[in-house]
Amino acid sequence: MATLAQPSGDTLHRPNIASADIQLPAVRDYEQVDREITAVLQPTKAWFLGLMLAVGALGLGVVSFLYQVHQGLGVAGYNPPVMWGVYIISFVFWVGIGHAGTLISAILFLFRAGFRTTIYRAAEAMTVFAVMTAGLFPIIHIGRPWKFFWLIPYPNWRLIWPNFKSPLVWDVFAITTYLTISTTFLFVGLIPDIAVLRDKEKNPLRKRILALLSFGWRNTEREWRHFARAYLFLAAFSTPLVLSVHSVVSFDFAMGIVPGWHTTIFPPYFVAGAIFSGFAMVWTIIIPMRKWFGMKHYVTLNHLDASAKMVLFTSLVVGCAYIVEFFIAWYGGIAYEQDYFWNRVFGQWWWAAWIMLTCNMILPLSLFSQKLRRNPTWLFILSIFINIGMWFERFVIVVPSLSHDVNPWQWSSYMPTWVDFGILIGSFGWFFMWFLLFVKQLPVMAITEIKEIIPPKLKKAHATHGHGGH
Amino acid sequence: MMRGMLGVFQELDSTVEAIEELKQKKVGDLTVYTPTPRHELEHAVEPPRSKVRVFTLVGALSGAAFGYWIAIWGSEYWPLVVGGKAISTWLPYTVFGFEVMVMVGALSTVFGMFYLQGIPRLTMTVGYDERFSHGSYGIWCECAPDKLAEAEAILKRHGAVEVRGER
Repeated sequence: MATLAQPSGDTLHRPNIASADIQLPAVRDYEQVDREITAVLQPTKAWFLGLMLAVGALGLGVVSFLYQVHQGLGVAGYNPPVMWGVYIISFVFWVGIGHAGTLISAILFLFRAGFRTTIYRAAEAMTVFAVMTAGLFPIIHIGRPWKFFWLIPYPNWRLIWPNFKSPLVWDVFAITTYLTISTTFLFVGLIPDIAVLRDKEKNPLRKRILALLSFGWRNTEREWRHFARAYLFLAAFSTPLVLSVHSVVSFDFAMGIVPGWHTTIFPPYFVAGAIFSGFAMVWTIIIPMRKWFGMKHYVTLNHLDASAKMVLFTSLVVGCAYIVEFFIAWYGGIAYEQDYFWNRVFGQWWWAAWIMLTCNMILPLSLFSQKLRRNPTWLFILSIFINIGMWFERFVIVVPSLSHDVNPWQWSSYMPTWVDFGILIGSFGWFFMWFLLFVKQLPVMAITEIKEIIPPKLKKAHATHGHGGH
Repeated sequence: MMRGMLGVFQELDSTVEAIEELKQKKVGDLTVYTPTPRHELEHAVEPPRSKVRVFTLVGALSGAAFGYWIAIWGSEYWPLVVGGKAISTWLPYTVFGFEVMVMVGALSTVFGMFYLQGIPRLTMTVGYDERFSHGSYGIWCECAPDKLAEAEAILKRHGAVEVRGER
């Protein structure tokens, strides 16, 4: 393991390390882990500034939404038949962002991918807040948002039940399950770490609150044994859930007989895109965090390198899906489909399509270069491009199809209004507000799991390596 | 009333050796503390397999059954008739069966974990030290008063940095 990354200066010497072997050579003992990770919890001026910005953006979103509620949906940019716009685009975007969190915490856990250890907590929190954000959009999108609970099957005085064959009802179940399980997964993983905070805390009130939140966790072997088993089962449940949720979201489109939507490639295409965009958002969050919080020896260049390979892979899958869509339109021989795709790329919506193709297909090819995979500045810039590209991917799926369907007489256009943009900006404010509050209240890296990969203290010389593992 | 002896250890292998001797001499009931799960301790303690899986299975099956049932029952009670289409169809209803299976299965797993761990716990003053969540290992040996001295001697012999009696 002599070639493992050092905290700095390993850009010249670039080892190719299997993701399962990624270790933390600059982290020596358990005390250091406790000290450095809990130090992140101290608020700073930059954090307050960030929080104010997020709350300000959220305020703009709230004002826009209240204006829409007062005036009606006409103030949004809907232009029949384009009756899905920024809100559904943003819904799909935020659900997608959430996917990487569960992929990192659950699927990579089952695959024992070592690079997940230091980034999974932030990614899990990101998932919960992203799904909370996504869940707002179907409610914002409906004309009478106060009636949203009619989609939930519950005994009611109207004696009416939802249409269980509607993908929108499938969505309600999928998103509710996803939010519940993601939150549960995050909280269960946090319990031992909250116990660490509890035992370090000097303030009696905070200590009491942390004691309640930790459920009286005592680190006994019995607790760990059941914890490990339950965590494994939660990961096993979450794995198909990750794949199913965005598949169900894709059914919102694929079940409709609209050019560009009615295709069987949508579920895998959406899942790959979701993981792709989610990883990009993980970079957007993690890369500044490792710099500002002094965590470069926890999220090392090896971690970024391994995650960059994942991004590159999912980018290739997404790019392949784009090409297959064009191929099927040509090979299928359906004039409406062919005309739609021509309009998408070279006609009315060329600008959106080329933003999508450039950000999602062309720029990520740079990750074939190991030098760029190990360059955090480039990865951060690329993550912003991918976030933009993936929002536009959903724009390209939603708007061009509705504005250019099988009836030429109703072809139209679409332009979002300030209300749409206000609510979109508000959603970023909502997401980052929760995330910023999280990072200063609870450990943003999994203390106990990081300790697992640190060799324990031994009185005898025959040191065994980490991987105590649950 | 039963009393016990609490030993605090810095090293993993010392803890394992103390556990093995305490078990061999049947001094009392052991509770082992560790800041992070370690296979070495699990092998020394030789605990029974976790029963969490039973909660998982029962929860998942119940959830799947409920998911299918709510969709089928709701469709039959409030039929939306489309020519040539069945009122209830298992293929789309698998979405409900799957999602509710995952939700109930996962929640019952967590419930089972809490139940088997014996948490939430309101008090934790006996046989616990705050160092156990940071870097130290611990053994709480609950035993009859005449065995306390033997437990103390074993814990000290294996390098416990602190040994204290508690009740």
